[in-house]
Amino acid sequence: MYPEDLKYTAEHEWVKAGEEGPVRVGITDFAQDALGDIVYVQLPEVGAAVRAGDACGELESTKSVSDLFAPVNGTVTAVNEALADQPDLVNTDPYGEGWLLDIRVDDEDEVAALMDADTYKGQLDQS
Amino acid sequence: MTSLKKSPLHERHVALGAKFAEFGGWEMPLEYGGVVAEHTAVRTSVGVFDVSHLGKATVTGPGAAAYVNSCLTNDLGKIGPGQAQYTLCCAEDGGVVDDLIAYLHADDDVFLIPNAANTAEVVRRLAEQAPDGVVVTNTHDDYAILAVQGTHSDDVVAAIGLPTGHDYMAFAVADHDGTPVVVCRTGYTGERGYELVVPNAAAVAVFDALLAAGEQYGIVPAGLGARDTLRTEMGYPLHGQDISPEITPVQARSGWAVGWKKPHFWGDAALRAEKEAGPARILRGLRAVGRGIPRPHMTVAGAEGTPLGEVTSGTFSPTLKKGIALALLDAAVVEGDQVTVDIRGRQEAFEVVKPPFVTVNVRQS
Repeated sequence: MYPEDLKYTAEHEWVKAGEEGPVRVGITDFAQDALGDIVYVQLPEVGAAVRAGDACGELESTKSVSDLFAPVNGTVTAVNEALADQPDLVNTDPYGEGWLLDIRVDDEDEVAALMDADTYKGQLDQS
Repeated sequence: MTSLKKSPLHERHVALGAKFAEFGGWEMPLEYGGVVAEHTAVRTSVGVFDVSHLGKATVTGPGAAAYVNSCLTNDLGKIGPGQAQYTLCCAEDGGVVDDLIAYLHADDDVFLIPNAANTAEVVRRLAEQAPDGVVVTNTHDDYAILAVQGTHSDDVVAAIGLPTGHDYMAFAVADHDGTPVVVCRTGYTGERGYELVVPNAAAVAVFDALLAAGEQYGIVPAGLGARDTLRTEMGYPLHGQDISPEITPVQARSGWAVGWKKPHFWGDAALRAEKEAGPARILRGLRAVGRGIPRPHMTVAGAEGTPLGEVTSGTFSPTLKKGIALALLDAAVVEGDQVTVDIRGRQEAFEVVKPPFVTVNVRQS
């Protein structure tokens, strides 16, 4: 449910650091389940600068809308175009085909400072 | 904070993995396997909803039906025993206290199904003015209500030994293992279907039997999330959003549920005056041109940014795969107009349309 090779935020997003280059961002299994069926995903423009903790998009379910918060400071290098027609990929494959965006981070240390899987799971268990 | 009431089927919902939400003081299933899948099952096959939070009340005694007819808006004289009717309880200013279904059992026996949050108030108003011999009783916690909705609803209801095939808005009282169950051809989805009023003690047995009988048709338990998307696709008003103490039936285009030829009903003077003068605002349908999904209270504006009113109900339509809304708009707005909805700062384009947004199957025979 919470892959060990990912980093996590308190806003229930995951971040996957690559060898080099941008990190990939999505929402966790907990988040997709809590949101329910996702029917519309609004993502930032490629090239946009995002700031950690700021809203940079929206995830809309049948019942409600939630902000997507940037997990780190950086620049958007790609967004998942497939979600325009298949937003439910976020529900069915949140860590794979349901990824949201790629960000070239300003400072790699920001990613390292995010929660690991055990810490994130611990936080979920407390809530 | 008072604790929430629970349906007699609560443990079943827990076992089915439901997510719960509060509806009018009751903790009820919001969804089980996802709103879209449940919605689609009802549109294409069959689903069963627990709507036990809905109110129940009886008005009995000599002249009970005549008394109800002098209070609620619709003309109970248009139906006979064994038929049900959609009607409204209005305040003297024409605002809607509640919308409800009245089951006419006999001239001295009427069963009412108000909304959960409004039941006590409807009962209070009816009891306050009841003539001698007419008794109004709140039976909110005595029955479960199960809605079986979809093209295969007849197959499922018949399979558990209950009557089917009656006319739209007609009901029958039948025996299920020694318990009287009321089976009414009604619903809130736009599909052919039935609502079963079941005494609490038999609720679990009937629910289990329906799920077992429906297995071959792919029946799913459906939550109140899907019920909301289904009813919005039909343009059915929800009390507290599209009709309310501040929104009259004349504005909400629910005048069809008002017996205008009756001598009296609550709010008649105000409603007749508003109908005569023409309402200042009218409930209209909006369908997204793009991808925006409207939500209640979002502002609707015209071409030059002129405010025209606001969204009262809005959602994503799983059938159309786009945003739809009901909106209370300036009476000058007509079908075919292009408007915008302010969706968190974005001006999204919508077309004004006449609901329902999807094909109606409710009366299909």
